[in-house]
Amino acid sequence: MLKYIGKRLVYLVLTLLIIITVTFFLMKKLPGTPFDTERFSMLAPEQQEIMLEKYGLNDPVPVQYIKYLGNLIRGDLGTSFLYTGRPVADVIFSRLGPSMLIGIQAVLLGLAVGLTLGIIAAWKHNSGIDYFTMVIAVLGVSVPNFVVAALLQYYVGLQWGILPVAFWTNWACSVLPSIALSFSATAMFARFIRTEMLDVLEQDYITTARAKGLSQFKVLMVHAVRNSIIPVVTILGPVVVNLLTGSLAVESIYSVPGIGSLFVDCIKNNDYSTIMGITVFYSAFYIFVIMVVDILYSVIDPRIRIQGSKEG
Amino acid sequence: MKKKLVSTVLASALLVSTLAGCGFTGGDTGSGTPTTSGDPGTATTTRDTLVYYDSNEIRTLVQWAASDTQSFTILNNTFEGLFRLDANHEPEKALCEDYTVSEDGLTYTFTLREGLEWSNGTPLTANDFVFAWLKQMSADATNGYNFIMTDYIVNGAEYGENKVSAEEVGVKAVDDRTLEVHLKNPTPYFLYLTTLSMYFPLNEAFVTEQGDNYGIKAENMIYCGPYVITSYDPAVGTTLKKNDKYWDAENVAIPNVEVKIIKDASAALNAYQAGTLDKVNLSSSDVAKYKDDPEFHTVTEFRVTYLQYNMEDPALSNANIRKALGYAIDRSILADTILADGSAASEGLVSFGVSGSDEGTFRELNGNISSFDPDLAKEYWEKGVAELGSEPKLSLLIADDSVTKNIATFVQSQFRDNLGIEVAIDSKTSKARNELMDNNNYQFAITAWGADYDDAMTFLDLWIADAKTGKSTPYRGNYANPAYSELILSAKADANAETRLQSMLDAEKLLVEEDAVVSPLYYKGFAYLQSAEVQDLIMHPLGSPVEFKFAHFADSAEG
Amino acid sequence: MNQEKNMDYQNIPRELFTKVQVDQGERERIGRPSLTAWQDGWIRLKQNKAAVVSLFVIIAIVALAILGPVFSPYNFAQTDYSATYQGPSLAHLFGTDMYGRDQFTRIWYGTRISLLIGFVAACLDLFVGVTYGAVSALLGGKVDAIMQRIIEILVGIPHLIIVILLMMVLPAGVGTIIVALAITGWVNMARLVRARILQLKNQEFVMAAEVLGTSQKNIILRHLIPNTVGIIVINAMFTIPSAIFTEAFLSFIGIGLSEPQASLGVLINNGYSVLQSYPYLLICPAIVIILIMVCFSILGDGLRDALDPRMSK
Repeated sequence: MLKYIGKRLVYLVLTLLIIITVTFFLMKKLPGTPFDTERFSMLAPEQQEIMLEKYGLNDPVPVQYIKYLGNLIRGDLGTSFLYTGRPVADVIFSRLGPSMLIGIQAVLLGLAVGLTLGIIAAWKHNSGIDYFTMVIAVLGVSVPNFVVAALLQYYVGLQWGILPVAFWTNWACSVLPSIALSFSATAMFARFIRTEMLDVLEQDYITTARAKGLSQFKVLMVHAVRNSIIPVVTILGPVVVNLLTGSLAVESIYSVPGIGSLFVDCIKNNDYSTIMGITVFYSAFYIFVIMVVDILYSVIDPRIRIQGSKEG
Repeated sequence: MKKKLVSTVLASALLVSTLAGCGFTGGDTGSGTPTTSGDPGTATTTRDTLVYYDSNEIRTLVQWAASDTQSFTILNNTFEGLFRLDANHEPEKALCEDYTVSEDGLTYTFTLREGLEWSNGTPLTANDFVFAWLKQMSADATNGYNFIMTDYIVNGAEYGENKVSAEEVGVKAVDDRTLEVHLKNPTPYFLYLTTLSMYFPLNEAFVTEQGDNYGIKAENMIYCGPYVITSYDPAVGTTLKKNDKYWDAENVAIPNVEVKIIKDASAALNAYQAGTLDKVNLSSSDVAKYKDDPEFHTVTEFRVTYLQYNMEDPALSNANIRKALGYAIDRSILADTILADGSAASEGLVSFGVSGSDEGTFRELNGNISSFDPDLAKEYWEKGVAELGSEPKLSLLIADDSVTKNIATFVQSQFRDNLGIEVAIDSKTSKARNELMDNNNYQFAITAWGADYDDAMTFLDLWIADAKTGKSTPYRGNYANPAYSELILSAKADANAETRLQSMLDAEKLLVEEDAVVSPLYYKGFAYLQSAEVQDLIMHPLGSPVEFKFAHFADSAEG
Repeated sequence: MNQEKNMDYQNIPRELFTKVQVDQGERERIGRPSLTAWQDGWIRLKQNKAAVVSLFVIIAIVALAILGPVFSPYNFAQTDYSATYQGPSLAHLFGTDMYGRDQFTRIWYGTRISLLIGFVAACLDLFVGVTYGAVSALLGGKVDAIMQRIIEILVGIPHLIIVILLMMVLPAGVGTIIVALAITGWVNMARLVRARILQLKNQEFVMAAEVLGTSQKNIILRHLIPNTVGIIVINAMFTIPSAIFTEAFLSFIGIGLSEPQASLGVLINNGYSVLQSYPYLLICPAIVIILIMVCFSILGDGLRDALDPRMSK
């Protein structure tokens, strides 16, 4: 197992290096400069040269790339253009907290509600709660989260005055955005676990377990859920990464100072160092989560043998 | 194994959420939170905080890097230049106590007020202006606003290109209280320029000491305006507190101001209705609902949105085609039905309110030179098509923001209804749009320009021809009429107000009416709701838009 | 003890046993017509009433999407500035927008495009995603490792950068949207299918098939994929709406449709921006998209029940 994890960590670094390289060269092809484009194009060409020179933007792209990698290895992500002079690491981490908080709350809420609904729905197939789950699941995917967010804000925040309408001053402010974000995750978890459970409940070993006289609860929890959880674990990876790295719409509706809008803004404004910073962070996080999921597969279902253990 | 993993995951989740908990900012506003306007019973006398918002992040407070309204708003209220715009949007003396202008209009001598201090107690001297202005003219300035100084100050441009030393630039501190400025041309609007954030002073010792940290946090800055910043986070906003060291502190009525960031328009409206904001901008679709509300206001800015034609495009090089497009647009529908937010139908490039002479504003003097006339449009179109030999296929380049999209859709429908042509809309991110325009790779585009100062020249000199190529930049449509550049250059060098104005009036007619290089569409407006408790919150139509200095609460009587 | 019991059995009188009829003809009788898995599925699908109703609703929506704009007295692009923001009425069933354009016509016009996008997304999922995941899981080892790293790279490179670059080189239109969706649209499906096949491939029935000499291709098509149908159907249900909303975002930044064209996603986005004053502009297109999703979901579940071999009783 340790050998496998070590191997995966080597892969992680290699994959990350490829992502950094490709992103760097693609990013440099983005139209425009990091400066305010309309005003910048009004400057005299000589002055444009001087400004580009000052920020090392006149070097050939491969040279800039080598320099960037050199700094990156030393742990220096550079400074942001968009947020003049701020170290990229500061910019990213100041935005990460709020996104992580609402992301984690949304995932936990989604898992709790989604799995509960899904399991009960499968157990009581074709019952009222089954249909209710289906309705939630369909609404969860077909109503975009910004609509959910806007409705929650209007009713819960403004009309009923239960929770803050927007802003980011205390924990109560994070409740509505978390609920709005969790909606689609709830739908996904509920759908997947329900489908899998229906499958599993038909299988012989469940009948065996029942025949052995195990309680319904134990059959469900020990035998059925464990064997149905693989797809949920699989999508859990991307869902976690997506939720934790922020949602543009929900953050903007609730004025959450999160990372979702940062990513879009820095790409639209050619803030090269911030783009790279977020890319490094985001892909490392993604690859790491996928790795954890792959390891979880064999923990949950010993029949799955991860490559590298023996088969390879 | 499984249990261990689960507990590790949970533990790290808890850890992260505790860490994230530190991310909350702003704190409780307490008594400062405004009460719902419909609830007069609540004691208004306890109010000490004005809550304002911006729809975009305040990305920087470094004045040589700031280029957007949000940053200008904060800088304008925490710093001050030689002059400040008053309630009537005219420059009034601020840090400057008195000034003289030489007879040729080229040398300004400013005397600073006595005993001026920065918020940390350092004396504020004429050298602070010299330092800040040189910084703005150098390559350090990333806001792209260098031209706003280098166009006027002797040797400014040369300094920016490292060709001359600082001593040769036309801005000098004669003594601690005297600043001498040498201009290239007589500039009747120079005092307006000194109200802009790029012209604010900066303390050299402090800025140098802070180095890269300058402007990053509230404590990394010192202030000379009506307010000081107590907290600053680009994505959350700023909190401001009255500056005790400000020379006019006794006339600043509101002790605290919060500027929050709310990006979503309907979220802002919800927050206003929940009583957590003192002012909210309305989107067009909500205007009808609130039009008769006593809290409803509109303001029209000195900002024009127009169609820029590329004169080198095979089809649009034909003047008849360009004129046909210009005449085919009913701008009153655009302003009243589509935008409906206080925006006004344009009558020319220079917006309403921009000063002209004693006889009237610039617009009043030049009249409506871009009207709607579908018959004339059709006539010009047929003539143009006959000259081209076939009906051209046209594509309108726009940036991907929703307001521009709405305008483009409207313009497209007008061309369809009044000319019977289908114009494609090509929407791009704003960087991509600008690059296409800079590379001469477009037919016509929707562009906007806001006045930097109250004079028609802020609009008109954009189309001046480059000395080398003999035409304006591709971004300005490759306009190559020497008569136009001549009019602009002569106006720039002219010390006589009357003939200067006449040159500019003629230039606008030439640009818009005769050569039809641009087709103005509308002057941008804002519709907003403002709590009745807040009074004299001045919104300027240009430059730095909002002024907290003069604002006060309805019931809090001041001396 | 065992012995004793056995003794007991032997003492049962022979008369109590009746002979099961062993008729030669009966032994060879085929209980059910010979059907392929797919034919079998179709028969079972037809028995599921909800699924059949959903199928008809989908057909109706498709018909409206094709015919609605044709029979409407208005054109989807036709503006009327004297009739902006009209609520739903007889003249305009779904009201009009800020340009006075008839929403009924625009919604059905938009449904066409959104259905097309949804169809493309589903195809990408089914063909690229399922194949990629299955191949990766079955071949295992180095191939699997490399294929999974490729997915990580595709997901790791910021999508928006690629989209902006695409926007610069390709003309705006449905084709460009499809290219943009194709880059990562199938990744989740590939990972889900891979996970499921990793779970299945060491199970007894696959081993049995292998021992019986079934070809690799047949193992995939007849044993592994049918057992994966549940996840495939469910995941497709998530991919379709997410593709429809991605299209709206792409159209907004200029890669897809441009005005006056519309899709359901674009209409919902536009409706959202006027939600406070004119909610019907959001509600009408939202209902259509929800209806489509409900029907597809029920149909999808029906399909899953019908195709899953273990569900056949």
